[in-house]
Amino acid sequence: MNDKETTHFGYKEVEKDAKADMVADVFHSVAARYDLMNDLMSGGIHRIWKRFTIELSGVRKKNAVLDIAGGTGDLAARFAQIVGPEGRVVLADINDSMLQVGRDKLLDQGRQGNIEFVQADAQFLPFPDDSFDCVTIAFGLRNVTDINLALRSMLRVLKPGGRLLVLEFSKPQNSLLSKAYDAYSFRVLPVMGRLVTNDSESYQYLAESIRKHPDQGTLKGMMEDAGFCQCEYHNMTGGVVALHRGIKA
Amino acid sequence: MTTTIDPTLHTAALAALEAGLNRTLDLSPQSKPGLTRLEDCVFALHCTAPTLDIYLHPGAQGIRLASTHHGPVTTSIKGEASDFTELATSRDPTATLINGGLELDGDSAPLIALQQVLATLDIDWEAPLVSTLGDVAGHQLAQTLRRTFSWGKQASAGLTRQLEEFVHEEARVSPPQLEVEDFYRDLHELELRVDRLQSRAERLQQRLRKTRS
Repeated sequence: MNDKETTHFGYKEVEKDAKADMVADVFHSVAARYDLMNDLMSGGIHRIWKRFTIELSGVRKKNAVLDIAGGTGDLAARFAQIVGPEGRVVLADINDSMLQVGRDKLLDQGRQGNIEFVQADAQFLPFPDDSFDCVTIAFGLRNVTDINLALRSMLRVLKPGGRLLVLEFSKPQNSLLSKAYDAYSFRVLPVMGRLVTNDSESYQYLAESIRKHPDQGTLKGMMEDAGFCQCEYHNMTGGVVALHRGIKA
Repeated sequence: MTTTIDPTLHTAALAALEAGLNRTLDLSPQSKPGLTRLEDCVFALHCTAPTLDIYLHPGAQGIRLASTHHGPVTTSIKGEASDFTELATSRDPTATLINGGLELDGDSAPLIALQQVLATLDIDWEAPLVSTLGDVAGHQLAQTLRRTFSWGKQASAGLTRQLEEFVHEEARVSPPQLEVEDFYRDLHELELRVDRLQSRAERLQQRLRKTRS
C-alpha cells in the first residue's frame, strides 16, 4: 500500500514530492514564449491586473520587495523603478528557465543595481525574518505544493506592517461568464498552446490547476489562518482573477 | 470585496491616460527637469463629479498615475472635473486656486510648479516624425507643421482682436473696456459726492435743531 502524501497536479492526484518536478517541467517547456502566451491568452489584460497589484502594494522609494514566482519580471521591473537606487527588489522563482528568461529580459532593459535574482522555493524562502516591506506572488501560488506552508514562509520574511499581495486566477462571479471561461480554458487554451509553444499539455494543466485553486473566500481564510491580518480581496474581470492582500501585524 | 467597480476598468483607463500623458511629456524634453524637481511629491486629485480619485507621482521618467496611495500626500485638491480643467489651463493658477471651486489641502507651491510644467508644454514633433519618416521628409513635415501652428496661433489672435473691435467699435453691441472703466470711475465719484452731500445735509439739520432749541 502506498502511504505517501498526495496532492493535485491539475486534475491528477500525484505524490507531494513529485509535484514540484512536474510543475518545473511545465515551466521549462513554456519559459521561452511565456510573455507571448500571456499576451495571447489574456488579450494583454494581464498587464492591467499586474498594474493594479503594483498600485495596491503601496511600495515606495527605498522599500525592499520580494517578487516570488516572478517569472519574466513584469512586476520586478516596475518595482525596481519605484523603489529607486536605494531600494531593493528580489526576483525569485523556483524554476531556473523562467528565472533566466526574466534576468535576461531585465538586464536587456538596462535594469540593474537594485535587482537581485534568486532561485527559491516559495515554501522555504531563503531570507532572514522581517526582511521585506512587500511580498508579491503573481500567478504562482496555485503551482506551489503546499500553499499553507508558502503563506507562512512569506509571513516570516515580511517586516511587521509589510504587505503580501497574491494575484491569482480565481472563480468568476457570474455563471454566464463562468461557462464562457470554462469553454475558453479547456477548448481554446490548449490549442493556442500547441500552436505557439508546441505544448498543449502545459496549457491543459494551466486550465486544470486554476479550477483546483482555492476560491476567493477560501484563500482569504487561508491567509488569515497563516497569520495575516486585514485580509481582503479585489475581484478583477468578473472574478476571473482576484488580488488578495494581507498585512503582517 | 472593497470596490464596486471592477478594478480592471479604472486601472485600464488610468494606464491609457498615463501612457498618453507620458508620450506627450517625452515630446517636450524641457518638461523633464521640472518633473524631476517634484520627484518626492505626491498629488491627490479627489474629483467629486464624476467621483474619482487619482494620485500623481511625478518623476524623471514622467508622471505615474494611481487610483490608490498609502502614505503622506504633498498636496490634496478636491473639486469637480470642470474646476480641475480650469486649473490645468489657467494662466494664473494661484488666482484659480484662491478664487475657483477647488478645496486645497497641503503645500500649494509644488502643485503650482506641476501646473506650470503641464501648462507650458512645448511639443517637439520633429523627433518622432524623423524617426518614422526619415531625416529629410520628417524635417520638412515638422517645418510645415510648425509654420501651420504658428500661422494658426497668429490667425486666432488676429481674429479675436478684430472681432473685439467690431463688437465694441463698429456694431456698438457692447461698450469698449475703457468706456466702461470711465463710466464706473464717474459713478464712483458721483457716489462719493452724494455721500458728502448727505453728511453736509445731516450736519445742517443738526445745527438747525440746536438753533431752535
